[in-house]
Amino acid sequence: MSENKSMGNTKLKESRPLKEITKDNFDYPKFREIDGSHPLKKMVPEAVVEYQVRTRHGGQVAFFNFELAKEIGLITETHSHDLTKELKDEILNTFSLVIINEFDQMNNFNFPKEDIRPNTYMATRYLQLQHPCKKGTTSGDGRSIWNGQITNKGKSYDVSSCGTGATKLSPACNINKKFYQTGDPTVSYGCGYSEKDEGLSSLFFSEVLAKNGLETERVLAIIEFSKGLAINVRVHSNLLRPSHMFNHLKQNNLPTLKRMVDYYIDRQVKNKVWKNLPSDPLSVYDYFLMRIVETFAQMSASFEDHYIFCWLDWDGDNILMDGGIIDYGSVRQFGLYHHEYRYDDVQRWSTSIKEQKLKARYIVQTFAQIVDYIKNEKKKSIDDFKNHHALQLFDKRFFDFKNQNILTKIGFNGKIANSLLENHRKEVEEFRNDFTYFEMAKSVKGPQKVPDGINWNAIFCMRDIMRELPQLFLSRGMSSTIKNSEFLDIIKSSYATKADLKRSLRRDLKIKSFQKNYLKLINLASKRFKETPEKILLNVSMRSSIINKYDRVTGDSITTIVGKVMSRKPKLTAEEISIILKEFTEYQNLNPDKERKPSNFETEKEQSHLVKGMLQIVREYRDGI
Amino acid sequence: MKLVLYSGGSEEENFFLNQKALELTEVKSPKITLIPSSSYDAEDDYRFFVEEFSMFGVQRFMLFCVDIPYTKTVLHEALNSDLIFLGGGNTFYFLKHLKKAGMFKHFTKFLERGGVLCGLSAGAIVLTPHVHTASFPHFDRDENPWDMKNLSAMRVVNFEFFPHYKNSKRYDAELLHHSKKSKLPLYACADGGGIVIEGEQITFIGKTHQFYQGKKLTVSSYLA
Repeated sequence: MSENKSMGNTKLKESRPLKEITKDNFDYPKFREIDGSHPLKKMVPEAVVEYQVRTRHGGQVAFFNFELAKEIGLITETHSHDLTKELKDEILNTFSLVIINEFDQMNNFNFPKEDIRPNTYMATRYLQLQHPCKKGTTSGDGRSIWNGQITNKGKSYDVSSCGTGATKLSPACNINKKFYQTGDPTVSYGCGYSEKDEGLSSLFFSEVLAKNGLETERVLAIIEFSKGLAINVRVHSNLLRPSHMFNHLKQNNLPTLKRMVDYYIDRQVKNKVWKNLPSDPLSVYDYFLMRIVETFAQMSASFEDHYIFCWLDWDGDNILMDGGIIDYGSVRQFGLYHHEYRYDDVQRWSTSIKEQKLKARYIVQTFAQIVDYIKNEKKKSIDDFKNHHALQLFDKRFFDFKNQNILTKIGFNGKIANSLLENHRKEVEEFRNDFTYFEMAKSVKGPQKVPDGINWNAIFCMRDIMRELPQLFLSRGMSSTIKNSEFLDIIKSSYATKADLKRSLRRDLKIKSFQKNYLKLINLASKRFKETPEKILLNVSMRSSIINKYDRVTGDSITTIVGKVMSRKPKLTAEEISIILKEFTEYQNLNPDKERKPSNFETEKEQSHLVKGMLQIVREYRDGI
Repeated sequence: MKLVLYSGGSEEENFFLNQKALELTEVKSPKITLIPSSSYDAEDDYRFFVEEFSMFGVQRFMLFCVDIPYTKTVLHEALNSDLIFLGGGNTFYFLKHLKKAGMFKHFTKFLERGGVLCGLSAGAIVLTPHVHTASFPHFDRDENPWDMKNLSAMRVVNFEFFPHYKNSKRYDAELLHHSKKSKLPLYACADGGGIVIEGEQITFIGKTHQFYQGKKLTVSSYLA
């Protein structure tokens, strides 16, 4: 197999120009911007493999994200949520593509000229630990292409599609040292296709997480084909991952690495995510590093506290540069802090949720190495950065975010939380320690096999105690205590066995300490804001009932829900999926500050039966993985 | 026995009923619990419930959902309230879960010890002998996708209750038709109206109409 680093194909196929803008597609001019062009192709050509693409026939629009399309300016803000024939045609014309890959070229496949698009589309190169080459010379987008970039209201978004054909950057291609024909049934992931259920899982999961303020890629469209195959189109303001830089570092390729970092910085500035950069060109890299520290400290604290399992590793894959989630294949949200769960990836075990922080820290360490390399033009060993000040800052910021998160979980509003963080860090940490004690408790049963890996069940549901405790204090009065047996009755999850709930002196003391430190924070807030403790508690109670809702999605619940959507007869239309998704994500929006409709306590709930069924699934799996 | 049956309506419309319900507790700082008809979006209902009763100086609130698993501790605490408010929504769903949770026997004890039991719309209908009034009129009725056959309810009063009544021919036609078959009087209240029961005394708030054996009567109200 010959390695051509800059181009995927050696000889371009002849194409015919795309159809002119006619009355039929006049309404959607922004779709025309998504034509394979992307600034990265020019800025860092070594970082991409360009492919010619052709129309993939036989696709149907299974889903289109109207809200997201409006946000990125693809359709007008007043556009109805109807998938008209014109809009469908436009979506298919823009995204129903397949690459003309090396296998096609080698076998001289002839495709109709009118199907071949004039522009090339890029697959990007990045480091991936599952590749034999640990330097990232052969790895990257194995079954995706970047459709391009779209700008709206001064913000640019990357658009990419998964399932658009087998590239030469897939693990299968490099492990087996052969090019694959797109759709080759002998390889699964390496065949270049993706499936509709993958798209739907990403869709439901990412929309829920986005609603709850987490950075994530989002699904713009799903185009389905026969046999459950699909092209899943995704969007984010910047789809670069740390691994897009780490490969050049591993290859000691300073010029490319520097251009990639510069491209990223420039993009963040243009998107107004980063402001007030230092004027000194070299100091810009220090700024870059500090932003990375902040992002990864916040992201890893947030993942830990939301129980989000995202397989982070040294390669900087599976995560975006801005801490956003990408590739939902291995992403999960646990109902409890199942900190011993590991995914079985056949050749290796995944990291666990509590190890994510260490991996995020290592990513920061690698960025410290990158910045030093760029500034001094000499690459030092990664070990030289073990004690880098960026890592010390990461540790501090990680716990700052953990403290902030625990106050949010209690139900304090931003103002009170900030005041407690500034003035009573010790008291916040004392409560967090008590919280962690219960959160970390595991079943006496020990490690258990689960369908896709191994777990050692957590036994306590912290959301339940955080939701009920303020109510009980309000009801009984703040001078009362919750008995140990009552506390355990509330906090026990469906995983807790009788033996798990056995009392011990330590546990009894912790129950007392938990309540004492909880009330201490309420009283501190009361003093600071000159409100009665009861009033603070009432506010906390209302917010906490939303934040710590009984039923919150888990990975298993999403998988089951997608199965239900997929097997629905008659098949759900794209519009129906949109409506269901909106209802479902609204219900899973746990932001206590979101706008709420006035109620007379009898609003006839509008959930369709399918959504109600979905919420029932969420309930059934609420403690799981 | 202290009961308050609300038809429905806005915070302003129900001001008097809310005030009356709180007075019935005879407690300076009452503890009140909302039991919504469904846990779906109950947090939103809870927030507005708190806002509505906070204006009377109430500070001690609880939210208790019967359609999701709960602990004995939380159930006990809810029943220990001075006032329990049953929310509105789908009457059949609410009834199904109240029965499943065995709540009626708890409510009976709650009433016996002097607690105030309030119900709004569906929450009021479940206090009557059965929930047939949720099945009509055909243009505004609750869905019963669970196909519940046994529609018997708490039977804490010996009349039927029809909330959200609008004084119109099409409502009257169905209510009159129903009353011919029923042995119980049916009280229909418009939003903002309701019925207060304290021991042997029954008070109608707002214009109330009685439908009984095919006839319609207007009941003099306490506060027309």
